[in-house]
Amino acid sequence: MSVILSGQLLSAVLVLAALYSLVAIGLNLVYGTMRLLNVAHGDLLMLGGYVAYWGFAKWGISPLLSAVVAMALGAALGTLVFATLIRRMFASPRLLARVESNSLLVFFGISTVVQNVTALAFSANNRGYSYLDDVVAIGDTRIAANRLVALVIATAACAACVVFFRYARSGMAMRAIIQQRDAAALVGINVERINRQVFAIGFALAALAGALISMTQEISPFMGFPFTISAFVIIILGGLGNITGSIIGALILATVEVYGVAILSPSFRSILVYGVFIAVLLLRPQGLFGRPIAAR
Amino acid sequence: MIQKRQIGLLVLAAVAVLLFAALPWAVGPYPLGVWLSLLMWIALAESWAMFSGLSGYVSLGHAVFYGVGAYVTVLLWQVVPLWLAIPLGGAVAGLLALVLGWPCLRVRGPYFVILTLGVSEFVKYLVISSEAALGRNGRLLIGTPSLTVLFEAMLALAVVSAVMLQLVRSSRLGTGLLAIRADEVAAEAVGVNAAALKLVSFTLSAFIPGMVGGLMILRSTYFEPLQAFSPTTSFTIVTIAILGGSDEVPGPIAGALFLVLLSELLWARAPEIYMIILGVLLILFVLFVPEGLLGRARRLFGSARP
Repeated sequence: MSVILSGQLLSAVLVLAALYSLVAIGLNLVYGTMRLLNVAHGDLLMLGGYVAYWGFAKWGISPLLSAVVAMALGAALGTLVFATLIRRMFASPRLLARVESNSLLVFFGISTVVQNVTALAFSANNRGYSYLDDVVAIGDTRIAANRLVALVIATAACAACVVFFRYARSGMAMRAIIQQRDAAALVGINVERINRQVFAIGFALAALAGALISMTQEISPFMGFPFTISAFVIIILGGLGNITGSIIGALILATVEVYGVAILSPSFRSILVYGVFIAVLLLRPQGLFGRPIAAR
Repeated sequence: MIQKRQIGLLVLAAVAVLLFAALPWAVGPYPLGVWLSLLMWIALAESWAMFSGLSGYVSLGHAVFYGVGAYVTVLLWQVVPLWLAIPLGGAVAGLLALVLGWPCLRVRGPYFVILTLGVSEFVKYLVISSEAALGRNGRLLIGTPSLTVLFEAMLALAVVSAVMLQLVRSSRLGTGLLAIRADEVAAEAVGVNAAALKLVSFTLSAFIPGMVGGLMILRSTYFEPLQAFSPTTSFTIVTIAILGGSDEVPGPIAGALFLVLLSELLWARAPEIYMIILGVLLILFVLFVPEGLLGRARRLFGSARP
């Protein structure tokens, strides 16, 4: 019992939940506003991780500084993908008719290209570096400083997102589009511009999460997909388009994952994550708080 | 007129099959391996089209059937003869599709796509941990049949797969599936039993991948779950179907031919290069040639749909 309630596991839950929230909010934004399921989301995270790794290993730049660069690159990439591929899809009625499946295939293609270009450039081996790896003791709980920093930054970024969606003009516009796309356009919201911003913000958040994650664990070109799956579980649990819901969903999934691995064994992690994913899609596709609607 | 054209096509197909059957005596082992992989992709993509092409439910999880077929064949290696083990692999794959399809096929659109991928990965990790629990670190098969035997068997599977797609297409099942693809709610309203049709065709589309997996594990002679259940297989199948067009029998053949020839020409030995090519092709074809090579060729040469 003491093991179950130990600060060690609780802090692990918090760190994982904060990072998961960050990943899930980006995925949720893109899905909520455009109904596009970005299966390449985890790969952007991976790219963010490589930016931080490369900066540190090559030039000794602090990963915290690289995180900002990674965010900028993520935003640029998001804008580029939107301007080239996504607008093309929205412009063609034939593609738009089956946009959900078509966009998923396009994102899947992007994911494959990103993963394998990275594997060619950096090899498929795991990469890691030590930054701020001395252990800090808070009460009885001992936690690596880099995990603590990741927790603080990820939490701050999530809080900034919540504030942005509540008070900023474009944040409110995004929520309006999530709720009623056509009505939002009618009241004068420039949907295309907001959509472009959503892509930039979503990709930037993923890149930030990746840079933070690279401080706490080894990265590899194929690390992204499990994060996409986790983020997907979270946004279904918390509700599509619901940002606060994502944070609650992240806490739930992180708890299940950390305690599941602690009780069973680390080799069950993938089975656990995919198992939760399947169970959620089959049993509660409308989310924990959602009204019962059919999963489309 | 149409009758005459169909007979012409049949004769052409028969000649092609006979030429393929003679290949092992005409080419060396390396080219034969390339032709074998071409036949493998044709068999896989035709059976994928039987469900996903007709119903519009894109399955990104057919690797699970391939992997299960391979696993069954490996487990039955030197327990039962191969002519029994391979079909049993197909049967187990079909059974798995029945069990998985029952809950999964209620999920629609992009959710279904990502669910199939998730289920396939889930089964992969189950097999990995059960193999680890058994203390097996990969399994080696010694004394597998020759390349010629495997080639002829794969040719048979490709032909059966194509014939099955044609039969399903021209049956009530196929018509119902096409109606589901167009509008599932409307199809149900006019009396199409969507749930049953989807389940039947999902199950049918798993048999051949199961048997293909069994044959290919005999070719590689080494079973390792990460490889046998690799999502790359699912991904390649979908790409081939998108490249060629997945409505009719010639579509997947055109897609497979295009992909295999392209990766040969580009010497895509490094798996990364191969995957990058797949990804780029998938993006380009979804966005710019959504009707596939076959549909594009039809439009260019102006021949009407039969």
